[in-house]
Amino acid sequence: MKKKLELENLTFIMPGFLIYLVFMFVPIALCLFYSLTNWDGISSSYKIIGLRNFSRIFSDVSFLESVKVTIIVTLTTSIIYNTLGIATAALLNYAGRAYNFCKSAVFLPAILSPVVVSFIWAYMTQTDGGIINHIITAVGMGPIDFFASKDAIAFTVSGVIAWAAFGFFTTVYIAALKTIPNELYESAKIDGAGIFKQFRNVTLPLLTPGITVNTILSVTWGLKQYDFIKVMAPNTVQTVTVNAIERAFDYNMMGYSSSIVLVLFVSIVVISLIQIFIMKKFEVEY
Amino acid sequence: MKKVLSLLLSIVLVLTLFAGCGKSTSGDGTEPAEKDDETEKIEEVKEEKPVKIIFATNETPILTTDFWAVVSERFTDANPDVIVENIAQPSANIMMRDYLKTLLAAGQFPDVMVMASPGDFVPAGALLPIPDEDMPYIADTTKGKFNGKSYVVPYKKQVGGFFYNKKIFAENNLAEPQTYQDLVELCDKLKNANITPISMGLKDGWPQLVLASLILSADLLTENPDWGLDRNAGKTTFTSPEFKKALNKYADLTKNYCNDNMAGVSYTQMMELFFTGKAAMMPMGSWLQGEEQRVKPDFETGFFPVPSDKNADNIAVWINEGLSISAKTEYPEQCKRFVEFFMTDEEWYGKFLKTEMLFPTTKKAVEYEKSSLRKEIEEKIKPMTEVENWYDMTGDAALLPGLQTYFNKMTVNIAMGEDVDKQLELFDKTFDEAKSNLEK
Repeated sequence: MKKKLELENLTFIMPGFLIYLVFMFVPIALCLFYSLTNWDGISSSYKIIGLRNFSRIFSDVSFLESVKVTIIVTLTTSIIYNTLGIATAALLNYAGRAYNFCKSAVFLPAILSPVVVSFIWAYMTQTDGGIINHIITAVGMGPIDFFASKDAIAFTVSGVIAWAAFGFFTTVYIAALKTIPNELYESAKIDGAGIFKQFRNVTLPLLTPGITVNTILSVTWGLKQYDFIKVMAPNTVQTVTVNAIERAFDYNMMGYSSSIVLVLFVSIVVISLIQIFIMKKFEVEY
Repeated sequence: MKKVLSLLLSIVLVLTLFAGCGKSTSGDGTEPAEKDDETEKIEEVKEEKPVKIIFATNETPILTTDFWAVVSERFTDANPDVIVENIAQPSANIMMRDYLKTLLAAGQFPDVMVMASPGDFVPAGALLPIPDEDMPYIADTTKGKFNGKSYVVPYKKQVGGFFYNKKIFAENNLAEPQTYQDLVELCDKLKNANITPISMGLKDGWPQLVLASLILSADLLTENPDWGLDRNAGKTTFTSPEFKKALNKYADLTKNYCNDNMAGVSYTQMMELFFTGKAAMMPMGSWLQGEEQRVKPDFETGFFPVPSDKNADNIAVWINEGLSISAKTEYPEQCKRFVEFFMTDEEWYGKFLKTEMLFPTTKKAVEYEKSSLRKEIEEKIKPMTEVENWYDMTGDAALLPGLQTYFNKMTVNIAMGEDVDKQLELFDKTFDEAKSNLEK
């Protein structure tokens, strides 16, 4: 009877398992294999070169530059999502037409295509003819060159990414705020807590699950960032993913590119695990 | 009773399924009569369908889908046994080279394609060698060979240099420079007159490399046309004094004589700066004439080559782009026929050359309606010596896979103020990596 059950279970699991095997495990295994070769991505032959690709990564200046840009993008966007996001969620966590309109307005950019958003902002941030600089010069100030240096470009693009995805993270926080019972605020008020004390001692601890989800998502999205950089600054700055794609298709270095992608994959897993470990300590139950 | 009915229904269903698997019979239930050999042959000829070849085109604002369709349709009209289906990169900002690599990796490499960087594909064995006798219509088949074999039928020649605003030059009493020093003095005069000397943009990643490459052609290839071969053989380096000197000139021009905020300026905006008179010069290839005809045909434009320290007697030419055939095509004969048609159908080829006021590569001169600037350039370069454009050196002298991309980025970095020496050291390092990556 038990054997039959096991067989039945296995049959039910099989389709999902096969899909996982073909679409998840096989590509990762292939990526690992290619990272040990000098395959150019188009030839039928290649040479197995062991760990040479991995040892090359950390002395590759373009990769290290792309890591720097990725860190700027990840930190800037994560800080914006998780500070302004909480504040905006707290402001909009009320019922009413005006609030609902504001919630929709904040969420709207999240439904736009990153490519469209990137193009729009690329035009808006132009020094000569961009609407932002039109306004700045109209009020008597000098124009801002948003693309003056590589760091400036990284921060400009980070701002655009944050603008585009801000609504999504705010919505997660609004949803998390809804799970906090009103009774706790009422008790806090009776105990004499003001708005800031209520926020610090009631809202923030009970918002921790939302913060965990949002910080993991924001850091993961930041580390994987590709489209905004590719459209807004296609040849001036790079994130790790842009660098990997370039190595694969421009340099014909599919093997090396695979090693970059694997390093990114492992980094994301490790960082996410650390985040979960830290955030678990702050979670409270009522 | 239910069981019997179910069994019957199942049998009927199974029989129905197998009914389609038998041999076909004639209407009266007898076997069809055996056909004799002759009838079969006639039917085969009748049923022979035209073969289809895929042609990957390089679409630009000028060379549109409709434009490329003309050659395919004309070819099929003249060769009804071959249908040509055109494909193009899905977006204008995707480089043809990258698109073709994706198609090759996906097993969808086209039969015939526009090819500008054969160096990326020849080592992978993706292209069909084309013997000289298969392209008797080409004027010069000696250039662009890899180990003595040609893989591209060059379909156009373009020249590069500085386009300038004649009105600004006349108003400021400026003459075309004869040496690099003249060029710098000219830029100083323009700057003193509060005119941006050179229009430049880094956003698209390629316009800036045209200037760097033209300087390298003027400085390096005029002295040693085999510089590329020497570099690939390890006889010279990118940190050699002559290379460093050329790149320092590029750094000087971009740092001191170009518009501000270059990093945010695209090719289109560069043209806008030039065609609206905000910048006096624009270093570019002769395809800019096509843009001029399209956006501002009445604009008074002049042209001069990038001068070296000694003179301005050399003209950099692009001869890297043309048509290639896949090594794995099922229809090599039809593909060669299509390529020959492309190059010898005078009506089409003239139309093609006219788009960007190109120079033909065929033995037979092909006439088309030329703009006054095109005529002026033709006259001006007649006494000059042709050198290859450095970035697009061809055949065994071509940059190794990936080095063009590195050069693009390096020229962006230098224009944004990064140290030339450091960038060139990295260029040598990248060269070594590219070389080791070719080991199979």
